[in-house]
Amino acid sequence: MSLMPLLAEMSGSFHVGLAAIGSAIGVGLVGAKAAEATARNPGASTQIMVISIILAALAEGITFFAIFLAK
Amino acid sequence: MRLLQYWTMLCLLLGMSAMDLSAADSDHGVAEVTSTTELHALASGESHDQAHGEGEHHGLPPSAVPVFHLGPLVITNSMVATILVAAVIIFAAQRATRTVRAVPIGGQNFFEWLVEGLFGFLEGIMGAELVKKTFWFFASLFLFILATNWFGLIPGIGTIGWETSDGHFEPWLRGAQADLNMTSAMAVAFFVLWTVWALQANGVKGLYNHIFGNKGGGAGFMKWFLIAIFFFVGILEVVSILFRPVSLSFRLFGNVFAGENILESMLMIKGLGWIIPLPFYFLELLVGLIQAMVFMLLTAVFTLLICQHHDEDHGEAH
Repeated sequence: MSLMPLLAEMSGSFHVGLAAIGSAIGVGLVGAKAAEATARNPGASTQIMVISIILAALAEGITFFAIFLAK
Repeated sequence: MRLLQYWTMLCLLLGMSAMDLSAADSDHGVAEVTSTTELHALASGESHDQAHGEGEHHGLPPSAVPVFHLGPLVITNSMVATILVAAVIIFAAQRATRTVRAVPIGGQNFFEWLVEGLFGFLEGIMGAELVKKTFWFFASLFLFILATNWFGLIPGIGTIGWETSDGHFEPWLRGAQADLNMTSAMAVAFFVLWTVWALQANGVKGLYNHIFGNKGGGAGFMKWFLIAIFFFVGILEVVSILFRPVSLSFRLFGNVFAGENILESMLMIKGLGWIIPLPFYFLELLVGLIQAMVFMLLTAVFTLLICQHHDEDHGEAH
């Protein structure tokens, strides 16, 4: 069974899935680095939390663009 | 003066969500999201209700459902929840501050803790001067979003309703932020205030310099080169500024709407009953808090970025 007809049969919101993968990776990187930064400098944990929430929200926003804006 | 600010805030919030007269067809873009589920439902031969764009799971309809009409205004179930939550907040705040004591107890103590905590938090981000000017807006946003998010999680909000003539179930109440009109009303209100604050802090010329101005300095040929580059950077900046209300409103709507959908889908799983949605309830409690904080933080940081003084000013100050 060849792959191409199988792929051609697939349909749906691919762009949303791809955007979700991308933003999940982005949020994961933000979280990993935020945990690392907090471990290095626990005194700055409030600032790190603020920055990481903002950046995670920005990375996450791409998914919503994909869901609602792209057709 | 403060009362005036609160009323402006309230009118902006409530009025703008009411301005979208026909909630049912204003959400075309969102309604089309379900087109794939619709196709799927059609393909699997299920009967399907076009009017509400309901998916195969009989999940949450993408737009809020009208409950009653007030003259030309359509009052949707999300708006009922909005007004209810706002009334509860206002009543609780009024009651807590009716008799103000030097040593606070009870409700006054709670509200003082809440407001002072928020003030300190925002002060750490925005600085002492700007926070005094803008605290009323960000604190109201945070409290309102948090209250509506958690209000939407109370059992019975999406499940107590009436049956329409065509045998459909419609809830009386729906999470207020699960309506794109509400979130975009808040985002647009912020956008207007952002413009006002930016103009107050910078003036028209200052605002232009802030966005398009040459931040690189340089001399001779390089100076003109940098001016051209920073002009195009400014155009990108304008695009990103114009997209802020869109991303703010979609982020909040998407999170809350998806959360309510998850809870409904998990309830559909047979066998274990209420145990399956339980972990998701804790997730949604967390998401409700985080999204309220994200909305407040993002708006606060956007305001800070435009109202911050330039580096030259900082150099003089030091």
